[in-house]
Amino acid sequence: MQNRLTGPSAFLSTLFAMAGKELTIMLRYPVEFVASFGQVFLIVATVTLAGLMFSPQTGANNNSATAGVVVYGFVIFMFLSDTLWTIGYNVRRDQKQGTLEQLYLSPASKFANLLSRISVTLVWTGLLCVMSAVLMSALIGDLPVHNLPLALGVLALTLSGTFGFGFAFAALTLRIKESAQTLINVIQFSFMVVCAPFYPFSALPEWARAIATAIPLSHGVDAFRSLLMGLPTGYPELAPIEVELVVVAVFGIVMPVLGYWLYRHEEDVARRAGSLSEY
Amino acid sequence: MTHPHSRVGRPTFGQTLSAALAETQLRLINITRYPGQMVMEVVIPIVFAAMPMLLGRASGPDAAANFAANTGTTNYVAYLLIGSAVFTIVSGAFWHVAYWIRFEQETGTLEAVYLTPTSTLTLASGVALYSVIRGLTTAFIAYVIGCLIFQVNPFSGDLLVALLFVLSGLVPLYGMALVFGAVVLRVKESSAIVNLMQWVVSFLMGMFFPVSIFPPLLRWAALLFPPTWMTNGVRSALLGVGFFFDVWYLDLAVLWVFMLFAPLFGFWVFNRVERSVQRNEGIGQF
Repeated sequence: MQNRLTGPSAFLSTLFAMAGKELTIMLRYPVEFVASFGQVFLIVATVTLAGLMFSPQTGANNNSATAGVVVYGFVIFMFLSDTLWTIGYNVRRDQKQGTLEQLYLSPASKFANLLSRISVTLVWTGLLCVMSAVLMSALIGDLPVHNLPLALGVLALTLSGTFGFGFAFAALTLRIKESAQTLINVIQFSFMVVCAPFYPFSALPEWARAIATAIPLSHGVDAFRSLLMGLPTGYPELAPIEVELVVVAVFGIVMPVLGYWLYRHEEDVARRAGSLSEY
Repeated sequence: MTHPHSRVGRPTFGQTLSAALAETQLRLINITRYPGQMVMEVVIPIVFAAMPMLLGRASGPDAAANFAANTGTTNYVAYLLIGSAVFTIVSGAFWHVAYWIRFEQETGTLEAVYLTPTSTLTLASGVALYSVIRGLTTAFIAYVIGCLIFQVNPFSGDLLVALLFVLSGLVPLYGMALVFGAVVLRVKESSAIVNLMQWVVSFLMGMFFPVSIFPPLLRWAALLFPPTWMTNGVRSALLGVGFFFDVWYLDLAVLWVFMLFAPLFGFWVFNRVERSVQRNEGIGQF
């Protein structure tokens, strides 16, 4: 019996079961899916068209470069937002629904529990991003797509780091409870300003650029879009591409470990204090 | 012939007004308990406007000239801030009116509201008044602070005409919001719909760009939305980007036509859906 509850097969079984549950919930709200897709497309289109108002009428190349900055930055923004809400804040949802304690009473892997929420994010957000990019290409011309394998590697590492950030935020949610919602808004807006997902870093004042350089996620944004845009003059903006790749790699490897460690620590504190189901 | 007792049990105008104002007061008291949320409401439009502003500034020294060639003004700061301020008012109208119904459903008070002698339209008017106060205040503060941060004069141009466009645009806007309130009453899943609709309207009204860049069919669709006329009217009055009909009073006249029809259409749709829901699954089900 013990073998069926531990080990890689048990872990995978738990992961698939919980991811399946999350996907089933998602598929029960088709209106929400259509609406969220429409919303994502409209936000990207609005910001891109606004950016194009600053461009001379010189043709599609200029337009697609502007769209590239916005769309590729938006991809990471979307994943960060979804990670904060689906990993971090879903713990809060389980607390409210009264299912968090029950999950802890089951022998299911806690890591699989957190990871299952990522699977939904990957499917849902990934689909939204791809569809938005395709629609934007149809609207204003082909987006620049260069160095695709390396860019996807950067994206994978950046997402890994982002998920680690999500684990850490889930830990914080266990501690600060309802205030987490306000904090998500603050983090999202800080990211929108400092990590420059919708505009080049060169638009930031010096002090803000210094802050951006100190945040690994900014390097993820910078490296990802610079690679896809074919490393044009002035890109990447924060550091040479080799340095950015190292920063992104370290972020992608260390952050999940650190985030999960923080989550287990806070979970342990909450269990000792008996506050796991408090909200 | 009117029966002498036909008004027995029906509220007088004073009582109706009192109920609407009580609803407004209730909402205003409620929101003052969340100062953090109010601060965020001022910050959000500034951050939204800052996105394209920074994107544009990074495009080089000709940013203002290019912007003028595309929109008709070099003052892109005020242009974008006006767009995001109107967006605040529009999204506020949708969220406050449409989500009010959903909130009452979720908290289980909607059925209780229907048992009182006050009509839902009276209460919806109270919510709309609260929404106007909240939306206009935050939009105005965000616009002024945004202009000060980005160092442009917020009060250039014809302020009176701009104010006329804002006030005239509010009535049809809340008529539209009532239609979406009806949709929420019918479909229940409010967040997704309201989220989408606020962006559809914001896109069509030309939040950050002139609607003249749209293809003809989309442009016509955009012109059927009152917020499009409101936004362009304010921009033209303050920044001189050009009215749709070249003179302000013709644009305003169009907005007044909307002002007559949109609320009536909103009330009609809402009443029909309300009656239908009452006859079928019931108003409290969600």
